[in-house]
Amino acid sequence: MAAQPSRSDRRELIRERAFTAAGLTAAVALVTTIVLFFVQLFITSRASRAAFGLPFLWRSEWNPVTEQFGALPMVVGTLITGFGALLISTPFALGIAIFLADYAGKKVAEPVKYLIGLLGGLPSVIFGLWGLFVLVPLVSKFEVWFGKLVGSEALVASGTTGVGLLAAILLLAIMILPFSASLILESLLVVPTELKEGALALGATKWDTIQNVELPYVRKSTVGALVLSLGRALGETMAVTMVIGNGMRLPHSLFDPANTLASAIANQFLEATSPVYIASLIQLALILFVIAIIINIVARVILRQGVQQ
Amino acid sequence: MKMFGRLSVVLATLLVIALVVSGCSSQGGSTTVKELAGAGATFPYPLYSRMFDTYDGVTGVRVNYNSIGSGGGIKALTDKTVDFGASDAFLNDQEATAMGATVLHIPTCVGAVVLSYNLDGNPALRLDGAVTADIFLGKVTKWNDPRVAALNPGLSLPDLAITVVHRSDGSGTTSIFTSYLAAVSPSWKSTIGAGKSVSWPTGVGGKGNDGVAGMISQTKGSIGYVELVYAEQSKMPFASLKNASGTFVTSSLASSAAAAAVSLPDDLRIVIVNSPGADAYPISAFTWILVYKEQNYAGRTLERAQALKELLTWMLTDGQAINEGLSYAKLPAPAVTKALALVNFMTYGGTAIP
Repeated sequence: MAAQPSRSDRRELIRERAFTAAGLTAAVALVTTIVLFFVQLFITSRASRAAFGLPFLWRSEWNPVTEQFGALPMVVGTLITGFGALLISTPFALGIAIFLADYAGKKVAEPVKYLIGLLGGLPSVIFGLWGLFVLVPLVSKFEVWFGKLVGSEALVASGTTGVGLLAAILLLAIMILPFSASLILESLLVVPTELKEGALALGATKWDTIQNVELPYVRKSTVGALVLSLGRALGETMAVTMVIGNGMRLPHSLFDPANTLASAIANQFLEATSPVYIASLIQLALILFVIAIIINIVARVILRQGVQQ
Repeated sequence: MKMFGRLSVVLATLLVIALVVSGCSSQGGSTTVKELAGAGATFPYPLYSRMFDTYDGVTGVRVNYNSIGSGGGIKALTDKTVDFGASDAFLNDQEATAMGATVLHIPTCVGAVVLSYNLDGNPALRLDGAVTADIFLGKVTKWNDPRVAALNPGLSLPDLAITVVHRSDGSGTTSIFTSYLAAVSPSWKSTIGAGKSVSWPTGVGGKGNDGVAGMISQTKGSIGYVELVYAEQSKMPFASLKNASGTFVTSSLASSAAAAAVSLPDDLRIVIVNSPGADAYPISAFTWILVYKEQNYAGRTLERAQALKELLTWMLTDGQAINEGLSYAKLPAPAVTKALALVNFMTYGGTAIP
């Protein structure tokens, strides 16, 4: 009778240890994978660094025939489309989140939240197809109109196909909207009711409360949410490829075809055969990896500060 | 405890089933080869999938072909994970050396790349090499350019900007098209050159033949290059081209076959763009299956090498009947003779494969 509990205790202990070990293994495996990712990218891109060194970052030539490669057009394309999309989608994301948190009744808010989730879960190729068949012709019409308006052929020199930076920015803005809106909404929903009620009790209007209580309260987590959305925009591949025009040159205007790091890799990797070419594409991946890491770290830091506050 | 017990019974059963199944298949593989694996070019994929489907029906040998692109096919063959690779461009000397062993190039069909365009009323456009190159160099920018007009005396072409559409992904199609431009235009050759992916001076890029075709059909005043099959399937007009002997030729199975009627080297690594024949369509090309000359590698059996040899022989003989139904020209007879000689050139352990 006395031995019974001790055996069960031991079993409990073993189970505990096994679980800890399994959890630790999983965690270590994840971290190792990420580190190995980086190491692998770094090693396999060595031929590119040997050939071009650091200037790879600001060289603007991408010529597989002469094997001269530089990342600048794609880095520029990635940053312009990412930040452009963020700029356009942020006001909408804030508007949606504030509306759903403070103005919409439950009957409206719940279905809208569900739809936002649904939109966020759509495969990006569907966005890409919609972009190509609906958005691009609209952008093309806008280009024709704009070209006549300013009377400048240079601005629309690349034709009025509609594909290019602008189309990619608009499409990405739509794609990250559900993501940033729902993140901001989540942080708005945790604003303590006492704070809101306190402000209202002091005679503040609803708008005053939002402006002076809620937004300052969620400022940091909002910035964090936006940075995370930016990360998504920078890494988007399929949808961007379909509307950006895939020009491997530095763009001169928003209407020019351009390319992003992710899109260039996806387009060219399969048929790349020469070692320097392959290494240069992997080097692009490494740059994207580093950009993504920086952005995620920035977002985490800001989010943590937001929580501590 | 009870639950764990039940779970382990289920797992054990699954394991036994898995072992039995894998045991069966590996046993089957050692006697007769029922499956072959290939990977590579997307250009001949419609042809190969029909051929392999037919072959399965005739012989019971299933061929798994992954159309992952020529580069991927070459990589898979280098890694020795497939029985054959497929590529739209033959290996250059540097690439051939990198393979580490002799690779044979077996052509399977003649394909054509056409210039498709989007103009009101679908006029029958005529172009020559020099003007085409200058359009893709961004030097000829309007449809009513005098040089375009001079080639099309009967047409009134609009005062409309030309939008160039090219492939954004590396492709054999691009390789064929740029080889043609390099052959007909010295300035293209010196500034851009030829390859599966080049530094385009102008235009927008679409991914894949369908991406380019889609972009052309959406954009008034655009011109781009696609494989003949895609232009025919999407009912897009394509230009007649002035060939090396000065005749305007439309892309067709006959004009592609005519392009291949040149004297061929024994290894069949040849670019047939700008072919001299009077009826030859100038942007034509072979597509190849790549195999190792020495078939005893990565633990492959003699039976496997035999199965591959039988497949290749069939593709060059009976299989050729499938080509034309899918808009790929048949290999001309001299090419078939030389290709069969290459197939018979394969060895296993240094001796000819019976």
